[in-house]
Amino acid sequence: MAPMNDPALARYARQIIYGGIGEAGQRALLNAQVTIIGAGATGSVLANHLARAGVGRLRLVDRDFVELNNLQRQLLYDEEDVTGMWPKAVAAARKLRRINSAIEIEDVVADVTPANISGFVADADVVLDGTDNFTTRYLINDVCVKLGKPWVYCGVIATYGMTMTIRPGVTPCLRCVVGELPAPGSVPTCDTAGIIGPIVTLMGSIAATEAIKLLVGQGTLNPGMIHVDLWDDSFDRFELGGRRPDCPTCGQHAYPFLNAEVGTRATTLCGREAVQVSVVGSQGLSLADLATRLQAAGAKTVRTNPFLLRAQIAGHEFTVFPDGRAIIKGTSDEAVAATLYARYVGM
Amino acid sequence: MRLRVKLFAYLTRYRDNLSSGTPCEVDLPEGATLADLLRALQVPDEEVKMAFVNGLAQPEDWQLKDGDEVGIFPPIAGG
Repeated sequence: MAPMNDPALARYARQIIYGGIGEAGQRALLNAQVTIIGAGATGSVLANHLARAGVGRLRLVDRDFVELNNLQRQLLYDEEDVTGMWPKAVAAARKLRRINSAIEIEDVVADVTPANISGFVADADVVLDGTDNFTTRYLINDVCVKLGKPWVYCGVIATYGMTMTIRPGVTPCLRCVVGELPAPGSVPTCDTAGIIGPIVTLMGSIAATEAIKLLVGQGTLNPGMIHVDLWDDSFDRFELGGRRPDCPTCGQHAYPFLNAEVGTRATTLCGREAVQVSVVGSQGLSLADLATRLQAAGAKTVRTNPFLLRAQIAGHEFTVFPDGRAIIKGTSDEAVAATLYARYVGM
Repeated sequence: MRLRVKLFAYLTRYRDNLSSGTPCEVDLPEGATLADLLRALQVPDEEVKMAFVNGLAQPEDWQLKDGDEVGIFPPIAGG
């Protein structure tokens, strides 16, 4: 059947006409599996492009929920997602299914950890970075190098961004280029430096195109680090040189982030006065039972939906997920958050 | 020797807040390394950065030569 008459391909007619993709490329996209880790600003752009382009199976993994100050740049969300307290992965998947019902979209509300990341990427042809922190990126880098998965780094802040395409065994990995994990507080966040929407869309679009080229097996991949500053009209590209033999990830295959021992973790979140507390190995909890306990403990305005519980306790806003994870607002002190968690959630 | 140096993003604060990627010239003694250049620019050790010499990523002990073009970036965490 001619591609334009094949109902499965008709919706992609305009990109099939483009010779770099063609019918064979479109079929490759439809047969592909992509995992996007993080569904915030860049994750929205990545997921939007790949769902519309017809990537057959998309997995979106995100730990966060939609807030009003996300809407300025996170293209998949709207005010109803804010009032409904929707997790980003769920809200994104719902929007994407309305855009393209012909593909499979899996939403995962979870913090990506050394314990669960392999399960999210093992069946992926390409892994994409929609995260906002280097700890998670170094974990992605470890697992992708170990499993031989190509992945695309994409970072944005203020008016600038960078992106790099990592092909294990072929190119240097992220750790070869960036070196040791930047210490907490050593690099600016959306909270301290702000961010404008267009740089997100631009860098996310470059990264999404890298994914399409990888999946189709055509086109010229970004061989280096692309750096753009839209405010200063600065567009630069740098080559990466060779892989470093002493790189703990791709040189020595030690994968220190993937092999990290972790238990209860408290992490300050980019962009607001909030700390996430998570427990690796948790059996999860009942939100209904927790709501009853918190009301007995004097919590105000306890609200739940199938995905989370929200309560005001001791001057802090708690958002608790069924996997036992909590985001505690009103502090950026990880120790304070861990104490509040132990006191009120109690795991 | 004379180097042509570009600082990017918020590292421009170490060069009179020139706009990102604007080249400036820096004179250093022969045999100087990237680490020497960073010291001359007064970029503190704890400032995380990546350096590219003539378009290629290099470690801080890399020895520079006259006419080299150096770009220095912070890694970008947000998303």
